[in-house]
Amino acid sequence: MMIVDDTQEEKPRGHGDGAATPIRGSPATRGIGVRALARVDAVFNALYTWRFNPLYHSGALVVACFVVLSATGLYLLLFYRIGAPHQSVSAIDAQWWGGRWIRGLHRYASDLAVAAAAVHGIRLFLQRRSWGPRALAWVSGVVLLGIFFVCGWTGYVMAWDAHGHLLAVEGARLLDALPIFSEPLGRAFTGEEPLPDAFFFMNLFAHIALPIGVALFLWVHVSRLARAQLLPPKPLLWGAIGLFAILAIAWPPPLGPEADLLTLPAPTETDWIYGFWLVAVRSIPAGWVWVAGGAVVAAVLFVPAWTKPPREKAPSPSWVNPRHCTGCEQCFQDCPYEAISMVERDDGREGRVGFVDPARCVSCGVCAGSCAPMGVGPPGRTGRDQLVGVKEFLARAQPGPREVVIVGCLHGAAGAVGSNGVDAATGARVLSIGCVGNLHTSVLEYLVRAGVGGVVIAACPPRDCRSREGVKWLNERLWNGREAELQDRVDRRRIEVVYAAAGEGSVLRGGVKGFRSRMLKMEAADAEREFDVGAECDLAEAAP
Amino acid sequence: MIARRAVAALAAIAGAGGIAWLSRAPSAFGGGADATIRLSWRAEGVPVEECRTRTQEELAALPVHMRSPRECTRAFAPFELAVAIDGRPVVRDTVFPGGARGDRPIYVFRDLSTKPGRVLLSVSFAAVPGAGSASADANRYAWDGVVEVASGRVALVTLDGDGKLVARTSGTP
Repeated sequence: MMIVDDTQEEKPRGHGDGAATPIRGSPATRGIGVRALARVDAVFNALYTWRFNPLYHSGALVVACFVVLSATGLYLLLFYRIGAPHQSVSAIDAQWWGGRWIRGLHRYASDLAVAAAAVHGIRLFLQRRSWGPRALAWVSGVVLLGIFFVCGWTGYVMAWDAHGHLLAVEGARLLDALPIFSEPLGRAFTGEEPLPDAFFFMNLFAHIALPIGVALFLWVHVSRLARAQLLPPKPLLWGAIGLFAILAIAWPPPLGPEADLLTLPAPTETDWIYGFWLVAVRSIPAGWVWVAGGAVVAAVLFVPAWTKPPREKAPSPSWVNPRHCTGCEQCFQDCPYEAISMVERDDGREGRVGFVDPARCVSCGVCAGSCAPMGVGPPGRTGRDQLVGVKEFLARAQPGPREVVIVGCLHGAAGAVGSNGVDAATGARVLSIGCVGNLHTSVLEYLVRAGVGGVVIAACPPRDCRSREGVKWLNERLWNGREAELQDRVDRRRIEVVYAAAGEGSVLRGGVKGFRSRMLKMEAADAEREFDVGAECDLAEAAP
Repeated sequence: MIARRAVAALAAIAGAGGIAWLSRAPSAFGGGADATIRLSWRAEGVPVEECRTRTQEELAALPVHMRSPRECTRAFAPFELAVAIDGRPVVRDTVFPGGARGDRPIYVFRDLSTKPGRVLLSVSFAAVPGAGSASADANRYAWDGVVEVASGRVALVTLDGDGKLVARTSGTP
């Protein structure tokens, strides 16, 4: 059952994105990580609000960096000469009005891209969004990060200063351990001969060609998402670009002395974001570096396999009950993962019926909230199942006409606030739910018509929704008449949405207190005596 | 509100500054006070050819244009590399020719760390005795002498145009 009354002893589990999904691996470690992430998110939300929290937009920031890198890279390409790499970069740096800060922005954007990609990956790992249908996005994301690394590597070699020399020598040493070259690459850097222009041409070619791979894998990365948001909101986008542009002007990145092949590469400054591995690698035989590096890469690539829950605990994908499906296409439009298509009916009725592709469905349950006749959703979490859960909750908790019920996402603040059905700080009854994006508006109607004083929907910040678009569609259904909309007969004054991430219990409680003070100024809620949800909604078809 | 925005701005500057700092942080890499003697050359190998006569059955199984009565495999012999610095042996190794079949030239590419200053260097590179058809003397490369190498610099031992080992330091043509 999707809605879980916290008066029950047992916590909900096994509902995929829509609820807490059991995983293999190290839950204790991940539990610590989740708590740490919640705290960091709360701090960033307090500083930047959830709209502009950069941690929520880490993936989009990588794309923004890619755009900046492409634009600044085109400018730098105009002045770069493969016959005189270091001199041409020095000349670029001498352009105090343009080249210097553009090169600085290029470099800082590349660093930000890797940092943001790392944050993005860690978030998704901790939030258990790395397996099943999301495996493609995970693997392509790891490949993208790898391409960024190699591209950055070639970029540093392009400048051909001491740092680039060191990276080139180390790269050649590692590649020479592979039996693929007839002559050791490292011999190019021995100092016997000057480095040929062909080397810098190939390096430049790789530096330009690799971003094409980035674009390709980026397409693959988001190919299973509907309405992928590729760029962060404008204030964050321009704020980040402006900040790094100012840094590039005020504190431009250094260009070391020109590489001398008969001098040991000894940069005084290093880019630790791209060169952190040098610390461990330089003193280890190249073969072992490949073994260790390969093991790390394999472990990361196979995260989807080793975080996948056991089959018996894996969430079931949504399914469509053709008897209730009217072919309205709302679930097809709302699905954040493009897992639903419309197919011809085979039951003799006219029109089409929804079909859920299990290979693409992450069991987020957003379709359950989008279906007015409550004919689609993961097993046990359809609109009908939700109503059964609410009916049981009302019978057990019996919230009064002056009481507030918190309907809260398990992943957000409500997941931590509720205790034995009552939040001690506010006295509100707590009804936990997998994701508010699953929430069928009939549940809210039921609560209000049953005489509950008010309902606070404790939602995760929209950009942090585990179901991607759950909060967005909830708001549309509540306030903008999107199918399955909240009916006009429901008193909307008694419903409020509060955005509170997992570490923002105080935000939720503040929202509940403010709502209660407004609610208490209203007349007491009145329960409808003749209201029979079972008869109105045909609850006999709900999962037992 | 103003205080919050000020803190937010400071945090953004600190975060961006942190990334910029990581992009240019002091480096612990480098040669330190040591110098390096680099051995780097490409030498033609000593051919090792093994031939046998094909049987009539084997010849019959081959296409007409490939019916050579003798079948030979050709590879190069391994070499022994021995290096001593100031009379102390630092390398004694067998170097195999390149290529999966060992039929490519032999490449030597070693960086040997040493103290800076004057170094008595002895390098010997010769075909493994008994391997190959050429005499050992004809395929022996050697260099003995004093090399002066500064801290953080590289002294290069390589083959010159005449096929003799030479040592080059900075400024040596």
